Amino acid sequence: MHNTQLVQAVWGGILFGSVYGLMALGLTLVWGAMRLLNLAHGAIFIVGAYTAYWVVSTLHLPILAALPVGVLIAATFAGLMHVLLIRPVIGKPGFDNATLVATIGLSISVSAAVLIIFNPEYKVVPPVVGGSHNMVGVQITNQGLLVVATSLALFALVYLFLNYSRQGMAIRAVSQQRDAASLMSIPVVRTYGLVIAISGALAGLAGVLLSPFFFLNPSSGFNPMIQALIVTIFGGLGSVRGALVAGFVLGIFESFVEVYLGVAWALPGVFLLIILMLIVRPNGLFGIGEVRRL
Amino acid sequence: MTVPAAVGPAPARPEADIGAAPWRRASLGTVGGVLLLGLVLPWLLVRLEIGNFLVVLLILFFMQAVVAQSWNLIMGYGGIYSFAQVALFAVGGWTTGVLAHSLGWNPFVSILFAPVLATAAALLIGLPTLRLRGTYVVLLTLAFHELTRVFAITGPRFISGGGYGLTIVPGFPLGNVGIDQRLIYLYYIAMVIFGVATFVIWRVIHSPLGVAVTALRDSETYAVSRGIDQFRVRLVLFAISAFFTGLAGGYMTHYSTGISTSVFDLSRLIDLLAMIVIGGWGTFMGPIIGAGIVIGLDQALVGIGDFRALAEGLIVALIAVFAPQGLWPTLRRIYERYLGPEPEPAVQAEAADPTVGGE
Amino acid sequence: MLEVKGLHAGYAGSEVLHGIDLRVGEGEGVIVLGPNGHGKTTLLRTITGLLAARTGEVLFDGEDITRWRADLIAAAGVIHIPQGDLLFPEMTVRENLLMGAYHGPTWAERKVRLNRVYELFPWLERRAGQLARTLSGGERRMLALSRGLMARARILLIDEPSLGLAPLATQQIYNSIRAIKEGGMALLLADENANHVAGLADRVYLLETGMLVREGPAGELLRDTALLESYLG
Repeated sequence: MHNTQLVQAVWGGILFGSVYGLMALGLTLVWGAMRLLNLAHGAIFIVGAYTAYWVVSTLHLPILAALPVGVLIAATFAGLMHVLLIRPVIGKPGFDNATLVATIGLSISVSAAVLIIFNPEYKVVPPVVGGSHNMVGVQITNQGLLVVATSLALFALVYLFLNYSRQGMAIRAVSQQRDAASLMSIPVVRTYGLVIAISGALAGLAGVLLSPFFFLNPSSGFNPMIQALIVTIFGGLGSVRGALVAGFVLGIFESFVEVYLGVAWALPGVFLLIILMLIVRPNGLFGIGEVRRL
Repeated sequence: MTVPAAVGPAPARPEADIGAAPWRRASLGTVGGVLLLGLVLPWLLVRLEIGNFLVVLLILFFMQAVVAQSWNLIMGYGGIYSFAQVALFAVGGWTTGVLAHSLGWNPFVSILFAPVLATAAALLIGLPTLRLRGTYVVLLTLAFHELTRVFAITGPRFISGGGYGLTIVPGFPLGNVGIDQRLIYLYYIAMVIFGVATFVIWRVIHSPLGVAVTALRDSETYAVSRGIDQFRVRLVLFAISAFFTGLAGGYMTHYSTGISTSVFDLSRLIDLLAMIVIGGWGTFMGPIIGAGIVIGLDQALVGIGDFRALAEGLIVALIAVFAPQGLWPTLRRIYERYLGPEPEPAVQAEAADPTVGGE
Repeated sequence: MLEVKGLHAGYAGSEVLHGIDLRVGEGEGVIVLGPNGHGKTTLLRTITGLLAARTGEVLFDGEDITRWRADLIAAAGVIHIPQGDLLFPEMTVRENLLMGAYHGPTWAERKVRLNRVYELFPWLERRAGQLARTLSGGERRMLALSRGLMARARILLIDEPSLGLAPLATQQIYNSIRAIKEGGMALLLADENANHVAGLADRVYLLETGMLVREGPAGELLRDTALLESYLG
């Protein structure tokens, strides 16, 4: 049905868009602040998701409780990662190498750990809010609406935080001119830790909210990670605005491709799009960093 | 076997020259000895009880070492953060598998196409990607990995085999011989592949190209100002790396008479990464040593199962942060500093130690 | 209040400062004169913690701050106005200023200081919403200086205030600095020429290839134009 397809595509786009935006937000904040490509972002995402599962299935608490617990555990995990694996190499010349390998190693460890603690079977996590609406034959779940609302709310929150709070402004300062920030008595390394913790919290939250939408398994983090990376680069590394806009652009694009061309074309389609963007405008939509062209 | 008089590098010659002839670094005796050992080993081993198993391990070592070296060539030397290695391995494997199984080609012929297609794929990704900065290479190669994986699982039947991969691939036609004999032949094929790959990679590293790569890695602005075309250099390295990786993939497909989609598992990726990181990032012997260590450890710790990936990931992460040159070089340095004898002058960590054969 | 003893510092492989001894007293204006490349910036960066000293001591109010982190040194009141301004390019004038008072106790206090700075330099208020990277050279310098004033500074270390400025802007900058000095602020100024420092300086040090070769009261040293010419060219 023509209408159904269109609504499906649009709603899918909005939903994907919010999700991508949320995932990309954490990545872009961290990259902007400290030029760190956090390949453990996907791992933190599933830490959140599996925490939600654990809260519900082992602690037998309502899923609503999983939200703060998941966010907290994810943020703590991110903080630990910062202290153990990132902080020791900050300022050293091998920073890029070391953090790239370390975050990927950590990511795979988390996947393995989750496999051991829980088992490889797909897990089902209940949604925070149940129920759905039917619009022209398209199922619009309340959880989906919650995800969209949360994503937009978080973007607004992060925007306010970065522009109107002392710590938020410090994060921007550190990302723009690190030495000057030090001279303003901004504790640079601690600020890095703050950004990483925030990014972890965002990823964890995304994990909790999104887990009802797919069958949770130990490699669930990999794909969201790649999507988040694509969105981040598309929107421009370091740009919050970029993450939001790119999230929706790519979400809608992918959704339309899926609905009208089939699921198999979704990832290749996005892949093509990002390659195009990198050829035409490597900085992404709103990127501020320099991209070397050889 | 005679040992020639000069063991160390001749002082007046520039670095590239000496390296181009590896037999001048290591004594002829060492290389000859290792070669001989390699040739004779399988015959000896099949006589032992567990000998066959050891030969299998050696074959595995050869192939893993090839892939590890190839990856190290672009990541450790070239500074190209590519995660497409596993996918390229798969491309090679699938190419020869499909040609042999669906088209009925002789594996010895179809395997020739494995490296070709892998290299073509690499050039395809490389062209848009290698012009850009590291972060973008990571993304695009990861995306390529994912794309290849999804295609292998959900693609047309002759490729995906219902989602499990190719399961009925003919093995190498080595004649109607016994298991032991067949194993020995397979071993030789693997050894030849390993030898060629290692030799070529050695030559590349010590050629003007390799020197250019290291120059770019260490000080890009200077290298570029000297006219080194970074993009071309990277593309060539990327192609070489893909070539041998694809070849290894092709070999493994016919060796195991099949290739499963489990090659895309992250645990395989971390294996390779561990080899490079443990053995010595950006060194020549590093990935070879690393391959040996990882495979050896894996056998020694066979009981730990799922914990293996967990441990590997953590170890890799910790080494990357605290011993960035690699575990082996760091341990060696600690040994030399505190326990070893006075170091000889002008001996690099990569030089084959004349007193230890086949390190 | 600020004392430097036997300071050695440098970058990978080379030493730039070879044993610096200097001091700045309360409310004193001290100038370090030296040609480019002789270590002025290195000196200031080492004192304020952006660069680690190899050996030597830096004491502030008697406390050893040599190994302190840069942000803690700034929090103690040792404020560095760096060469090249190092403004936050994508932040507005107002935001740059507010960041200067990062260490301030409350937003109210920050607003108070902001208003005080606006009184000193009314044009800053007019440009409050403008991005720092869109300012002209002279404006940036003023902003950098004002940003430094937003902190509760006990001493200002200023690196080449007139670098890259047109004559008019140069005049303005030095006038502002003079006004600050007259308000009782201690100054350590690193400069390449002695043209404008007359009203600011109580004492002068001459820096040559990483060592202080002369020291003396400003009146005496600055008047010896022959010495200055041979020295500074």
